[in-house]
Amino acid sequence: MSVKNYYLPQSLPDALELLQQKQEDLLVMGGGTVAMPLINEGISSPEEVMGLRQVGLHYLRQSNGSLTIGATTTLTTLLRQSPIEILAEAASQTGAWSVRNMATVGGNFFVPPPAGDLATALLALDAQLTLAGPSGERVLPASEFYTGFLNTKLEPGELLKEITVAIPDGHTAFLKHGRKQANTPSIVTVAAYVKLEGQTVTTARIALNAVGPHPIRARRAESKLEGTQLEEVAIEKAGEEAAAECAPATDAIASEWYRRKMTKVFVRRALQQIAGKESA
Amino acid sequence: MSERALNAVGQSIRRRDGQGHVTGKTVYVDDIKFRDMLHLKMVRSPVPHARIKGIDFSEAEKVPGFVRALTYKDVPKNIYTILTLIGVGPDEEPVLAEDTVRYKGEQIAAIIAESEGAALEAAGKVALDLEELPAVFDVEEALKPGAPILKDWGTNYFVYEGHHCRRVRYGDVEKGFAEADFIVEERYQTSPIEHAPTETTGCVVKPEPDGRYTVYTNTQAIFFSLDNSALILNIPFNKLHFVGGTVGGGFGGKVDVIVEPIAILASMKTGKPVRYMFMRDEEMQVSSTRGAWRMYYKDGVTKDGRIVARQITSYADAGAYNRHTPYAVTKHAANVAGPYDIPNVHIDAHCVYTNRQPGSAMRGFGVTPASFALEVQMDKIAETVGLDPWHVRFINAYRNGDIKPHRKVVEDATLIEAMQAAAQLVGHQLPEKFLQMHSDDREGGDHG
Amino acid sequence: MASKIITFNLNGRETEVLAKPLTTLQSLLREQLGYMATKTGCRQGGCGSCTVLVNGEPMAACLLPVEDIAGSDVLTLEGLTPDIGLHPLQEAVFDNFATQCGYCTPGMLMVSKALLDQNPQPSRQEIVEALSGNVCRCTGYEPIIKAVQDAATRMNGHSGGES
Repeated sequence: MSVKNYYLPQSLPDALELLQQKQEDLLVMGGGTVAMPLINEGISSPEEVMGLRQVGLHYLRQSNGSLTIGATTTLTTLLRQSPIEILAEAASQTGAWSVRNMATVGGNFFVPPPAGDLATALLALDAQLTLAGPSGERVLPASEFYTGFLNTKLEPGELLKEITVAIPDGHTAFLKHGRKQANTPSIVTVAAYVKLEGQTVTTARIALNAVGPHPIRARRAESKLEGTQLEEVAIEKAGEEAAAECAPATDAIASEWYRRKMTKVFVRRALQQIAGKESA
Repeated sequence: MSERALNAVGQSIRRRDGQGHVTGKTVYVDDIKFRDMLHLKMVRSPVPHARIKGIDFSEAEKVPGFVRALTYKDVPKNIYTILTLIGVGPDEEPVLAEDTVRYKGEQIAAIIAESEGAALEAAGKVALDLEELPAVFDVEEALKPGAPILKDWGTNYFVYEGHHCRRVRYGDVEKGFAEADFIVEERYQTSPIEHAPTETTGCVVKPEPDGRYTVYTNTQAIFFSLDNSALILNIPFNKLHFVGGTVGGGFGGKVDVIVEPIAILASMKTGKPVRYMFMRDEEMQVSSTRGAWRMYYKDGVTKDGRIVARQITSYADAGAYNRHTPYAVTKHAANVAGPYDIPNVHIDAHCVYTNRQPGSAMRGFGVTPASFALEVQMDKIAETVGLDPWHVRFINAYRNGDIKPHRKVVEDATLIEAMQAAAQLVGHQLPEKFLQMHSDDREGGDHG
Repeated sequence: MASKIITFNLNGRETEVLAKPLTTLQSLLREQLGYMATKTGCRQGGCGSCTVLVNGEPMAACLLPVEDIAGSDVLTLEGLTPDIGLHPLQEAVFDNFATQCGYCTPGMLMVSKALLDQNPQPSRQEIVEALSGNVCRCTGYEPIIKAVQDAATRMNGHSGGES
């Protein structure tokens, strides 16, 4: 309510320079769908705010079998232009239309559960995050980015610049279980990527949301699949393992008990969907 | 009746307020702005139960745009109860908390400032010195010895004509249980529900040159709000002019009198228009809910499915204050035995105080939780006795002329006909004997 | 930083305003310009009551800093409403009793306008998805969906999708 300065830098270097000057005094927001509610309600009262909507990171670039997404690309742009099906699907199931028109792909990495479903799909694709800072850029796997609830490895002075994923050469599935058909906080969200050679699973990645402090990889469930034929028994075991290794919380959306139960069900369904695609 | 053509019945008539709604020209409270209008924000309790040892406004006063604060000392008649207008008492809810807060979010002090932002910032800078007290959140825990007592009269229940609950006594349930072939017992619990109107609760008060105050409000109960405001402010009713009727969703959530008295007082103290609108988090976390209920049923049933005795003990969670719950419990007691003819009924319905956000009115409050419990219980009876649930309802359904447990003669029974129509709508073929039944004739059908 | 002069197109008219840092479009419309059709339901982007169209796309005006829309085209319900009579979408909402308390109606109309502009013959599912960010607590969703289907027919002479 007592914002003294609102900056709208027109380039990434300008944004980084401003961040360098202001450091922690500067509240950085992408699409504003998380920061603005807190400011409107007086929960957050920053004096200095930087908006990244015009920083020039609104793009999708495809090259050498990979897709690079500028961090401030809106979810609507991703939904409409993504060459990767699971990303379009995840974007379509994140927020409502008006929110997708504002929310950014990069910003989704800073949204706490039970929101932030898009990042779950990026996690399943083993996305690499390019972080830009005063001393240049560094690349970090998305799976190593989160350090806790509302905590990441982003250093002071750094901004998330782009997200790069390999165009998947295996099968993917994205399932979200909420209390409404659309625009719903998540009970559990499952994003899965499975690659088979012949009949055998060589790579499996399962990412979950709303059942931990941030989107997580279900690595023990993944290991239950690798080397199997993606048969019913392996799928069932992966579901059970995911339910055991996740750490859901009880909130207004669902209880810990129900989330764990649904984790098993939706991991199973996602893998069954992939098995169906494989046999089709 | 004349032969004149009907010009409304059977026709689709556009809503009178529709033109305003589809053009966005309907004026809601938040659309009303006045020059020099001040904004009111509330300092609220961060804990469910505490003694207030001190309030320090010194940092709040430094916020640019701060005008003044109000505490209970500024309110002429601070302790009130909404239903005083229909003879319910005693007064027990403070407009602004005095020495104790009894639920998280309770109003402690009002901050008036030149902008909404300044009011919000200043309210956040008020320092509260609170001594937290043990809290109770469960209706049955609240009635046990040793529970923290929330009311000056020394109990955590509303007193109904000298009794600890609203009682209904009809026939002799013990005799009924002795005659029964089955005893069916169950416990039912509902949760609090927030109305969540899209437009939050609020009002704008404008002082007029003739000494009156015009109150633009989205209350659902305009004269209730006016009369209670005048009583709280100790002014004649004719000093207040309430303007309302346009409500952006209410569902019972806007019948309490929370924003108007304090906003009028703020206008009286500053001489300026004052706006007090809840923010979304206040609407969700502080405004009244549909209160939660716990209900215990014990039914005596014969092997042919007749209910011969019904004993109900129920507890309404009023939260910290009355609001409309004492009335809800009375309504509940009249309805909880259901639209069935039962010769022996015993009801104890309690209005219990806990350290929760107050419950109040919401669409059939007191009755809807009872209907939920009751109809699940009817199914349980059918299951226990081994009969079709339709059968159990048809043979027990009340008829015109029956006497309800609270001694009201049934004059408008439609349960039989409603069930017949419902069966038809869902494509369920009822046995002929149920199709022959009707509400005006007990002997006409097989009543069991 | 002092207030800034921001220029944008509001309902077809070039509009120049002086806005304090981080003023939202909702606040500008309602508090400064007196455009009250954009309602305030939650200021969290959760209810859809403040939906306006920015360059034809629905956005939550409560979350949008005015600085961000400099140079953009903004359409509110005031701009959708003809000087005389009603837009076919408004007629359809009126005739189908798709309003109760009316508080969600402006947002419902704006998102429906964007939908029908981009997809003149939406399916029922597409309508439901488009409206999913707009809360009607009177829970009158069925008439609203019917109204959008009806509006599609009125505007295009086509059926508004299978039901």
